[in-house]
Amino acid sequence: MSGEPILRTEHLTCDFGALRAVNGVSLSVAPGTLHSVIGPNGSGKTTLFNLISGEIRPTDGRVAFEGRDVTGLPPHRLPHLGLARCFQRTNVFPKLTVHENAWVAVFAHRAPGALGFLRRASDFADVNAEARRTVEEVGLAHKRTARAETLSHGQQRALEVGVALASAPRLLLLDEPTQGLAPEATQHMTRLIQDLAGRYTILLIEHKMRIVMSISDRISVMAFGELIAEGTPDEVRDNRAVQHAYLGGRR
Amino acid sequence: MNLSLLAAVILNGLVTGMLYALMGVGLSLILGLLAIPNFAHGVLYALGAYVLFSASKAFGFLGGALAALVAVAVLGAVIEYLGVRRLYHVHPDYTLLLTFGLSLILTEGIILVWGPVGITFQPPPVLAGGVDLGVTVYPKYRLVVMVVTAALVLGCYLFVTRTRYGAIIRAGIEDRDTAAALGINIRRVFTLTFAAGAGLAGLGGALMVPVRGLLPTMGLDILPFAFVVVVLGGLGSLPGAILAGLLVGVVQSLMTAIWAPGADVSVFALMTLGIIARPQGLLGQR
Amino acid sequence: MLVGFAGLLAAIVLLPLVVRPVVAAEIWIFAIAAMALNLIFGYTGMLSFGQATFFGLAAYTAGLMMIHWQASLPAVLVAGTLVGALAAAVLGYVCIQRVGTYFIMLTFGFNQMFYFIAYKWTSLTGGDDGLPGIPRPPLGIGPLSIRLDTSVRYYVFVAAAFLLAFYAMKRVVDSPLGVIFQAIRENPGRAAAVGYDVKRYKWLAFTIAGAFTGFAGVLYSMMFGIVPIEVISWIISGDIVFMVLIGGIGNLYGPLVGAAVFKWLSETVSVVWERWPLMLGVALVLVVLFLRGGLVEAFARLREAIGDRGTRPEPGEDVPVPVTAERETGP
Repeated sequence: MSGEPILRTEHLTCDFGALRAVNGVSLSVAPGTLHSVIGPNGSGKTTLFNLISGEIRPTDGRVAFEGRDVTGLPPHRLPHLGLARCFQRTNVFPKLTVHENAWVAVFAHRAPGALGFLRRASDFADVNAEARRTVEEVGLAHKRTARAETLSHGQQRALEVGVALASAPRLLLLDEPTQGLAPEATQHMTRLIQDLAGRYTILLIEHKMRIVMSISDRISVMAFGELIAEGTPDEVRDNRAVQHAYLGGRR
Repeated sequence: MNLSLLAAVILNGLVTGMLYALMGVGLSLILGLLAIPNFAHGVLYALGAYVLFSASKAFGFLGGALAALVAVAVLGAVIEYLGVRRLYHVHPDYTLLLTFGLSLILTEGIILVWGPVGITFQPPPVLAGGVDLGVTVYPKYRLVVMVVTAALVLGCYLFVTRTRYGAIIRAGIEDRDTAAALGINIRRVFTLTFAAGAGLAGLGGALMVPVRGLLPTMGLDILPFAFVVVVLGGLGSLPGAILAGLLVGVVQSLMTAIWAPGADVSVFALMTLGIIARPQGLLGQR
Repeated sequence: MLVGFAGLLAAIVLLPLVVRPVVAAEIWIFAIAAMALNLIFGYTGMLSFGQATFFGLAAYTAGLMMIHWQASLPAVLVAGTLVGALAAAVLGYVCIQRVGTYFIMLTFGFNQMFYFIAYKWTSLTGGDDGLPGIPRPPLGIGPLSIRLDTSVRYYVFVAAAFLLAFYAMKRVVDSPLGVIFQAIRENPGRAAAVGYDVKRYKWLAFTIAGAFTGFAGVLYSMMFGIVPIEVISWIISGDIVFMVLIGGIGNLYGPLVGAAVFKWLSETVSVVWERWPLMLGVALVLVVLFLRGGLVEAFARLREAIGDRGTRPEPGEDVPVPVTAERETGP
């Protein structure tokens, strides 16, 4: 395992008026690992993602990606640096086809110079090929020409991940990819994530404990906007603070 | 420019500004609650003026003004009930086009009923003449209009911010679905809000008749300024609309005195500067 | 593609047999303007209520150039297109800062501002009376020049210009921009998240549309020998919106159908009754309440109902796409 973390947050803080949604979160993600973030509802996990991916500006603290300070960069800069995310609520392009969804994400990072825009979209063989590969990878090849809004919930979650993959990132932020999925679809998604874990560094928000415990290299636990524990699955499972946060009691 | 002229210019600006604030408040309410720019807002203002013109012959000026308020408010309710309501689940661009179509129909209606020629109108005798303010002599009617519209605007603001019904309106603006889920008859709130916004526009038109006269295109002429006020003032912000209205009125009046051809342009320049400097508007949040 | 092109040629040839050449020419001119609006509304999801700004500015520019400098045809076409693009670039930069409802009001507001300027600056524009004395410069140079003085000749020229514009628009829409614009319409947040500077692309769409609209404006300036003030008025802005609406949004051919239907209607009705805006208003209200999606989508729905479900092709081919624009609502 190489020394430098691929992602590091330092004392990341986010206030919404009087509400401190994220409070001084410092975590590091080692490259090539699958790092999960868990915690009860409202613990600030998605807000943390939003701070990292630029959807929200932090009130305080820094985010560094591959050693480079990316704090407060607008979201559209990050895929070009190698960081892509998917969203908790399905956030694809509803009236575009599955293929176009992937295509547009691929094209963003393969963007040609200004003259490239004089060519027809269908002429970009490399972009087309990469889009097809991405669609196949998330198991939607058979739905390639279907409009995204016609997909089932499970298929839409797969597309949700696919669009993020299409940016060919080095770090993938996955926000509850199995959200709302039935058991069989959940298994598919889990297998997909495990498959991806070898090739991408993944930061995963997930509620389903069995999945988290079985596939994560490292787990960070959040509660009330703070990082309350971190470690391997075994370490976290045995951690009293974690049990307390999940099972009851208020601070 | 001497002091007397300056005072007159500023007073003119406040009169117009109060009118703009009134228009902005009505438009803002409709915009905030219904998420649509009401392209018919201008023609509702015009209709109020024309109703006053006709009704005042039978009922006197005050009666005519009340008739204008009621007639246009009722029309607003009808528009909401028959037209706008059907489009809530469809996105607001269609509602906008509906109001645009209505503005065409109503403007043509005005021409058909009252003819295409402009009409002048004298203020009621009791309010005619000038008032000596020391620094200048100013038309009594305009002062009265300024005070009355200010009272209307203030009343509106207090109603929306201090009363229970106003709280309901604000809740509907914040989150339409939640408000409905809380058992508030949101449909009735919408109809009444639209009617109120329309009524304010109509009343504004009626009150301004002795100042500005009547012209079938008066609705279209004032609409962009109402838009500027809302955009400049900030999303759905009533205080913002008031402030912006006054600002626009005064700036326009000053420019008319300094360099008349630039008066209208200056309003848009002001809006542009506002948008660039503060994208959320003077008092808007985001 | 070939079918579409053949259809266009057929329409070009047949149209002057159905309506007067002058009206037919207007149809193609407004078809260009409607296509431009379709680019920003149908494809990118931004409803502009002020396209007459660019139409009118280009028309006045062309008119003034022809009157004072005896400018040639290519010169005014280029100049008008550039003026449309430049004005759109400047205004677009401001308008893009807001979305949805506010964007609409801004475009409308700026349109009105230019109208007021044109109205008051009578020494330049002729104000309410319009700018008279516009010649029709010949096409070509020296011995190869063709005079365009009859309505039929001008119609042929306008139709040719339209074909050029149509081809250019098709290239834009078939290029990656077509998919990117649609992605922005569908989900601007995600478009940003996958790496697009959404504001910049919106600005680009707006500027391109301004160029096309300016081109149309130049063609219009030479229609009647006069540039009337209507050329920059909200009426034309509304007309263009209406054309796109009745023709069907997000589809390359829809605006053409819309322009044709609209102009034909306005021509026939206004002969009978001069209160045409009233009919337009009524028609608009009816379409909005009962016939959303326009005629083209109505036909598409009809086909689908019969059982013909087309599959969607790869990016780059144009397909009817119903529209959702982005919202900015509430305080």
